[in-house]
Amino acid sequence: MNPKNLSAGSNGAPGESAGVESAAKPDLKDPRVVLSLLETDQVVASKRQSRFGRRPLSLGIRILLWGLRSYVVIMLVIVAIAVIRALHPTP
Amino acid sequence: MPGSTKNPPLTATTIRHAEPTTEIANSSPIAPDLAVLLTHEDVDRARDRLQVARARWKGRKSKTWGGVRLLWLLVGPGVLVFLGENDAPSMLSYSATGARFGIGFFIPFVIFTFAIGVVVQEMTVRLGAVTHRGHAELIFDRFGKFWGFFAMGDLVLGNFLTLVTEFIGVRAGLGFFGVRPIVAVGGALAIVVGAITTGRYWTWERITLGLAIFNGLFIPAAILARPDWFAVGHALLTWSPLPVGNRGEILLLILADIGATVTPWMLFFQQSAVVDKGMQPRDIGAGRFDTILGALLAATFGVAAILATAPLFHHGINAADFQAAEFAQALEPWIGHLGAALFALGIFEAGIVAAIAISTSSAYAFGEVFQTGHSLNRPLRDAWPFYLTLFGSAAAAAALVLIPHFPLEFIVLTVNVIAVLAMPPALAFLLLLVNDRELMGEHVNGMWANVLGVAITIFLIVAGLGFAVATVFPAWFSGERL
Repeated sequence: MNPKNLSAGSNGAPGESAGVESAAKPDLKDPRVVLSLLETDQVVASKRQSRFGRRPLSLGIRILLWGLRSYVVIMLVIVAIAVIRALHPTP
Repeated sequence: MPGSTKNPPLTATTIRHAEPTTEIANSSPIAPDLAVLLTHEDVDRARDRLQVARARWKGRKSKTWGGVRLLWLLVGPGVLVFLGENDAPSMLSYSATGARFGIGFFIPFVIFTFAIGVVVQEMTVRLGAVTHRGHAELIFDRFGKFWGFFAMGDLVLGNFLTLVTEFIGVRAGLGFFGVRPIVAVGGALAIVVGAITTGRYWTWERITLGLAIFNGLFIPAAILARPDWFAVGHALLTWSPLPVGNRGEILLLILADIGATVTPWMLFFQQSAVVDKGMQPRDIGAGRFDTILGALLAATFGVAAILATAPLFHHGINAADFQAAEFAQALEPWIGHLGAALFALGIFEAGIVAAIAISTSSAYAFGEVFQTGHSLNRPLRDAWPFYLTLFGSAAAAAALVLIPHFPLEFIVLTVNVIAVLAMPPALAFLLLLVNDRELMGEHVNGMWANVLGVAITIFLIVAGLGFAVATVFPAWFSGERL
């Protein structure tokens, strides 16, 4: 298969090319065919070697995250109280 | 637009801030490097993409059949996540709701919770299709290990407790037919193993979808209960009659029914499944359809469970301490042996599909965090830590269920409530990620998605606080109306 056929989508859309769409039996042993069907950062090797970096957390976001974390911890204590009461009901 | 970024040469140090791209790999300057590094996972994913590409190509000739074929190929994660969440504790929550309050407020309320679920899950479709990264991986990358491990802690605790309840459902469901617990639980574990050892995401997805559709067993069970369809229509239109009884108990059921629809594992699972399926930004529309279809099916089956158990309410039978088998046995005089058997089988099915989905969700998250292979397209030998996590979590949960006198009631009581309480932080991470333009490019949340997302988060926090107040000050909630 001519790799040129694989390099551009038939409608200009990326990811899936006209060559592959119309080919009767594309050979998936050909790495060019595999690559033509995937986006660059869909390939495992590419994902392994590239990571999204940390985003800066503003004071507002940090307060939000800490607030929600505290909420969960407090609520877990409440759940424990509820379960103890359910398992040992007072007469 | 994310796709506008040019990729530098592929080295370990160059791409520190990866930008999602819509460029095809073959036309990328790093293609020669990638070609020699292609894995089994890439080839299998490309095979699935090839089917999608063909369906799109054929769709240009025949809009109807091409579209149907395309949807058939792209449907999966959304249906699975919602039918997976119609799990044993969820169906028991719906059953308890029907038995305690009959036909009324809770029928539209359950549908409302699924609408919430659609809003939230749609965001995970976009995140997965655009970034090609799982939810856990993105949280660790963007917020660091500190917050990442907190999010994972919630997920691991919730997932494990839920998994235990799934095996309780399996045991109880088959217990109705006289199957011994060890045979029921062992058989369920064998099905989980069978589904994951195919080495293909596609095969796993279709097997699990095939099992999940049996969630529909609650529909014939509901029909056999001969519900008052006028009352159902009235309830849908007016959200009434309102539940009458102890306010604390009503609040607990409200919380359990919310927890039956929106939980943290669903976010992690659907995003990872979208990535594993290989969906791309152009598939987001189909992903939305998939999500809405899943919610519609699950809402229908959930309402069916309420209708199936409504006869217990009408005949004044106290179902407060019922588990799965007791529900089926108690229903037998009203919906017949066939109806009761369908109900018990439905609980068994709910448990087994959720056991597959939730253990897969744990394994995906583990693989993403520890950067080991995490795809169902990988053979066992390539990604054994992923499969070991998947099998190990399911096996440990199954073993707990078989321990005599283990406080299973404790777990059933807490699982849905914990899911709701852990949801606000999970939603905060989701909203921050889906509004991150560096990740999402043009696919960031619009204003209405953000308004709905924030409203849902506040709603869940208020519901949780209501539960807390009812627990600490039960006297305040001793009234007879909501």
